[in-house]
Amino acid sequence: MPDYLLTEDQRDCLQEITNVAMGQAGSHLARLLDVFVVLSIPHVSVLNPTDIAMALQSLNRETPNDVVHGVCQGFIGGGIAGEAMLIFHETDFNDLARLLKYDKIPDEQAQYELLMDTANVLNGACLRGIAEQLDTHFSFGPPMLLGQHCNITDLLQNNNMKWKQALVVEINYSIEAHKINCDLLLVIAEHSISGLIEKLNYLLD
Amino acid sequence: MAKKQTSLFEDAHWQMDILQNIDVGLVVIDENYIIDVWNSFMQNHSGKAPEAVLGKSLFDAFPELPETWFRHKAQSVFVLQNTAFTTWEQRPYLFRFPHYRPITGTTEYMYQNSSIIPLADSNGAVKHICLIIYDVTDTAVNKLAQQQANQQLQALSRTDHLTGLFNRGYWELRLIQEFKRFDRYEQPSSLLMLDIDHFKKINDTYGHTVGDEAIRAVSRVIKEQLRNLDIAGRYGGEEFGIILTNTNGDGAYVFAERLRTNIEKLTIFAEGHEIKFTISIGIAELDNQLHDHRQWIEKADQGLYRSKETGRNRVTLLP
Repeated sequence: MPDYLLTEDQRDCLQEITNVAMGQAGSHLARLLDVFVVLSIPHVSVLNPTDIAMALQSLNRETPNDVVHGVCQGFIGGGIAGEAMLIFHETDFNDLARLLKYDKIPDEQAQYELLMDTANVLNGACLRGIAEQLDTHFSFGPPMLLGQHCNITDLLQNNNMKWKQALVVEINYSIEAHKINCDLLLVIAEHSISGLIEKLNYLLD
Repeated sequence: MAKKQTSLFEDAHWQMDILQNIDVGLVVIDENYIIDVWNSFMQNHSGKAPEAVLGKSLFDAFPELPETWFRHKAQSVFVLQNTAFTTWEQRPYLFRFPHYRPITGTTEYMYQNSSIIPLADSNGAVKHICLIIYDVTDTAVNKLAQQQANQQLQALSRTDHLTGLFNRGYWELRLIQEFKRFDRYEQPSSLLMLDIDHFKKINDTYGHTVGDEAIRAVSRVIKEQLRNLDIAGRYGGEEFGIILTNTNGDGAYVFAERLRTNIEKLTIFAEGHEIKFTISIGIAELDNQLHDHRQWIEKADQGLYRSKETGRNRVTLLP
């Protein structure tokens, strides 16, 4: 899919902004959690619902030694709206609990809470940095566990998707010495891409 | 100038009024978890007047609030200056308040979502945080009821009404899953196909009610003998299928023999009749020669026919 939504310059700019934001997020997280966070270079692309569906299809499905979980959280502000989706692969709940300094081995409910807390912290840290550079401020909705109240496949097979394209920034996080590995997808909704482009152009000028 | 001051004052007064009376709980605490602000939602639902809680530690005023857990949450707000959330799905409430409608409410307590937001001072430092408590009882109750209804519907759609075993559609789905699992992990798995001998005769002699009772009796014996991971379904009229997971052909043979003798020993009473009957069983252990689940069923069926041909009331394990 050609990402004609963004020019080369705009895309570079967004990538740079995310990169800086991730750097800040990394140092915030290091302060809060006392760990070194390994971050990939953000990757910017344009996706349609089917692509997102493919990315999410693996969620909550048991593979031989891994259950993949996802948490999504809405954000809005400065004419930009979207969803942050954090997808946990190869993540050990005990390590996650250790990371967030929970003292006992989490039961199922606490495991979900751990996922949400982690997502909230990672999303918040990253999006805050992005908002600052765009000179705006985001409001966040509460994080939601994907597929807890509905089957993800049903959700995505539902052809009522009200959008055709979305801008996606993808970042991989892993945490040193912990079995924690996740992908953060920042999905900017179609209707607010123009707001983002305006802000990017302002920065580019 | 004086007028402007008055209106400023009035604005602040209104804002205070709004915060006081908004139907959302607001609590401001400082870094030591001492309560600074307590709006009337909190006052009314907790029954604690501001005088009783202001200046006190949140944990002293509300011992039911899990301290370690809450400190973790709050710490991320202080350090990251990032809003934190709690949802009723994970934790039904932060403060145990009674239901807003004490008469018609169906739950004991108020389900709550909450946001914990950082409050920056004029230097940008976050020394206070604000807890915002939302009453989400109605949403929670509806969601829970919906979940329950869905579960019931799902169970119903999988069940054969006469026997309470899985119906053919769902059972076959599980058979396909088991076949795929074998493809991946090669753990042994066996399939039993069985049916009631001379069932037509039972029906013709004693009527359908008695026939149904025979079917029910077989399913009861199967259920008694079933282990946790085994999957039994009613395949057709008087035909049943049982998937024995993690069981090889020999193990399945032992299971089938026991089932056969248990049925043989059984006497059923229906419509004033006393009836004894037997079953025939065919077994196929899953192996690499079988290319799909249909072939697996066919092989077990062949075993069943062999049992029928060789005199009924017996078990055949095809190699």
